[in-house]
Amino acid sequence: MKKILVIDDDQFFSKTLEAALPAGKYVLISAEDGEVGLEKLKSEKPDLVILDLMMPKLDGTAFLKKLQESKDLPKVPILVSSNLSSVKKISDVMAMGAVGYVIKSDESLQSIVQDIERVLGEEGNKES
Amino acid sequence: MNIALSSSAALYLFFIPAILILVVLVFYFYHFFRKKEREIIKEKEESTRRLYELAILKELGERVGYSLNVEEILQIITGSLRQFIDYTAVGYVVITPEKIKISTHIERSVGSSFLKEMKERMIASLSALTNKSFDSSAVEEAVSGAIVIDEIKQNIGSLFNIPLVISGAVVGVLTVAHIDAGLYKEEDMTILYKITGQASEAVSRLQEVVRMEKGKLNAMVESMGDGVLMVDAEYRMIVANPAIKKIIKFSGDKDINIFNFVDALGGKFDIHGRLEEALVNKNSFVSERINIEDSFFEIGVYPVLHSMLKGGGQMLGAVVVFHDITRDIELERVREEFTGMIVHELRSPLDGIKKIIELVISGSIPAGSDKFKEYLNMAHQGSSSMLELINDILDLSKLQAGKFEVNKEKASIREVVENRIMFYKISADSKKLSLRAAFSGNLPPSCEFDPQAVKQILNNFISNSMKFTSQGGEILVSVFVYEPGRSLPEDIDKSRFSVYPEAIDIKIKVPSLCVAVSDTGIGIPEDNIKDLFHTFKQAKLSPIDKESKGTGLGLVIAKGIAEAHGGTIGVVSKESLGTSFFFTIPIN
Repeated sequence: MKKILVIDDDQFFSKTLEAALPAGKYVLISAEDGEVGLEKLKSEKPDLVILDLMMPKLDGTAFLKKLQESKDLPKVPILVSSNLSSVKKISDVMAMGAVGYVIKSDESLQSIVQDIERVLGEEGNKES
Repeated sequence: MNIALSSSAALYLFFIPAILILVVLVFYFYHFFRKKEREIIKEKEESTRRLYELAILKELGERVGYSLNVEEILQIITGSLRQFIDYTAVGYVVITPEKIKISTHIERSVGSSFLKEMKERMIASLSALTNKSFDSSAVEEAVSGAIVIDEIKQNIGSLFNIPLVISGAVVGVLTVAHIDAGLYKEEDMTILYKITGQASEAVSRLQEVVRMEKGKLNAMVESMGDGVLMVDAEYRMIVANPAIKKIIKFSGDKDINIFNFVDALGGKFDIHGRLEEALVNKNSFVSERINIEDSFFEIGVYPVLHSMLKGGGQMLGAVVVFHDITRDIELERVREEFTGMIVHELRSPLDGIKKIIELVISGSIPAGSDKFKEYLNMAHQGSSSMLELINDILDLSKLQAGKFEVNKEKASIREVVENRIMFYKISADSKKLSLRAAFSGNLPPSCEFDPQAVKQILNNFISNSMKFTSQGGEILVSVFVYEPGRSLPEDIDKSRFSVYPEAIDIKIKVPSLCVAVSDTGIGIPEDNIKDLFHTFKQAKLSPIDKESKGTGLGLVIAKGIAEAHGGTIGVVSKESLGTSFFFTIPIN
C-alpha cells in the first residue's frame, strides 16, 4: 500500500481522486492547505505528494520552497496539480523540484491516476 | 550849364546809391546762396551719412540674420567701416568664456609698435569698461589686411573705442585707429556709437527671446517625470534633468557626464553605442523594458538635427529619454494575477463537477448510495459558487462600463437588514457566532434606495465578517442616520465592539443613512486596507475556515453600489481586534 498525500483546498479533487484510485492499492490522505500539508508530510511519511498551487495560508509555491530549504523534511516526489496553466508558473515549479505538472481541468481522473502510477513506478524502480 | 551840371549831379546822386544797393544786394545774394549751398552740402552729407547708417544697419540685419555671434557682428561692422571713416587699422576685442579674442584689420601698412599699442589700448579699454583685469587671460590674436613693416616707426595719432553692450553687459570693444593726430570728430564717433548701439540692441532683444524660450524649454524638461538627457556631437552633456539624475542615483555638485550613465546602466543598456548610432547614423532607438533598481524603463535614443532652410540638417547631438513604465508593468502584473485567479476560481468547481460526472459514468459510485448523495451535494455547491462568481464578474463589468443601475424605491432599511439577519442566522449559529442587528431611534420609516442592491452589500459585509471571525465571536449590523457635524447617535449598544467607526471616519456632506457591519474578527493589516475597494487587489488574508476564500470582487461591487446611490463606503479595522465595514446612502 502506497501512501499519497493530497494537499489541496479543493475538496472535489481529493474526494474524486480517492474514488478513482484503484481500491486496495493506495491510501489517500488529504490536507486542506500547505501548513497542514507540511505537518502531514512529517507525520505520515507519504510516498507521493500531490500539491495544489493556489491555497490559503501556505500556497504550493511556498510549500515547495520550504521543502527545498529544509534539511529534515523527507524527500518525497511532488506531483503538482493545479488549474493554473501559465507556462511560467509550470516552469517555475518544475525548476523547484516537482516531478510533474498536471493541469487538473485538462486531464481526466483516469489520466491523473496513470500519472500517479507512473511516478510511483519510476520511484519504485529507482529504489530497487 | 548850371542846370546841366546840377542835373548830372542829381543823376550821379541817384545812380551811386542805386549801384551801391545793387552791389550790396549782389553781395548779399551771393552770400545767401553760398550759405544755402553749404547747408545743402551739409544736408547732403548728413543724409548720405544717414543713408550709410541705414545701409549698414540693413546689411547688418541681412548678414547677421538671427546670429547671436557677437564676433560675427563685429566683423560685419568693421568690414563696412571703410566707406565712411578713414583709418589705418580697425579691430575688435571680445570676451569668450575661455579667452579674449583680438582681431585687427590693417588698411595701410604699419609697424609692429603701432599694433602693439593698439592691442594694449583695446585691452585697457575693455578692462576699464568691465572693471576686470585680463592680465592672466589667454589671448587669441588675428591680424589681416596690409602687411606689417617694422621700418615704419609711426605710432597711433588718433584712436577711439566703442563698447559693445549686450543685455547690459560689456562683451567687447571696437577700436578705430589712425597714424594722423586729431582726426576723429565727435560726429564720427556718434555714428559708430549709433550703429553698434543698434546692433547691440538687436542682439540683446534676440538673446532675450532665446533666453525666454530656453527658460520655457528648460522648465519643461526639468519638470518632466521622464528622465531626459542630451549630449552634443562630442558626447558632452548638455541637459540632464532632475528625474534622470534620480534614476541613476546621481547626486552632488559635480558635473554629470556620460560615464555616470555608462556606469549606472552597466550591461543593461549600451548607452554609448546607442548614442553613437544616433549621432553617426542618425538612427533612433527604443529599448525593451530595462530594469533599474525597483523600476522599469523604456529608453529611447534619438538624434537631434537642426534642419536648415536650404535643406539638409546639422547634427546638434542626441537625446535620451528614460520613460518610466513601472506602473504599467505593475498594472499588467496585477491584471494577469487577477485573470489567473478568476480562471482558477471558475475552473476548479467546473472541473470538480466534471470529475464527479466522470465517476458516476464510470459506475464507481452506485446511484442512490450515500456517497452518491455526498458527491451530488458537492456538485451543487460547486455550481453555486461558480454562478456567484460569474454574477460578480458581470456586476463588475457593468460597474466598470458605468452601466450599473440602481432601482431606487421607497423601502424600509429595517426590513432589509432583518431579512439578511434571518438569512445568515442558521450558518452563524452553526459557526457559533452571535449575529444581531441594532436600529437607532432616529431612523425614518422608509427612504429611497435599491433594496436588492443594498442586500448585495449586506451579503458581502456579513459573509466577510463570518469568514474572518472565529467561534464565539460577535457580529453586529447597526443602522442609524448620521448628520455631518453632529455626533453619532447614542442609542446603539456597541460596547462589545472595540472597532467601530467614529464620526470622523464617515466622510459625508449630507444627512445619510448609515449601515455598519462590525465584528470581533481577526482584523485587517493596515497595509491592506487601502487596496480593499480596488479591483484586482484582494487583501491576502487567511479566513478562519478553509472553505472561505474569495476573489475580493464583492467589496469592489459594494463600493460601486454605494456610489451609484450617491453614498460612500468605508472601513475601520484593527488587527486581532475586529473590523467594521460601513456604507452610507443620502436621505433626501
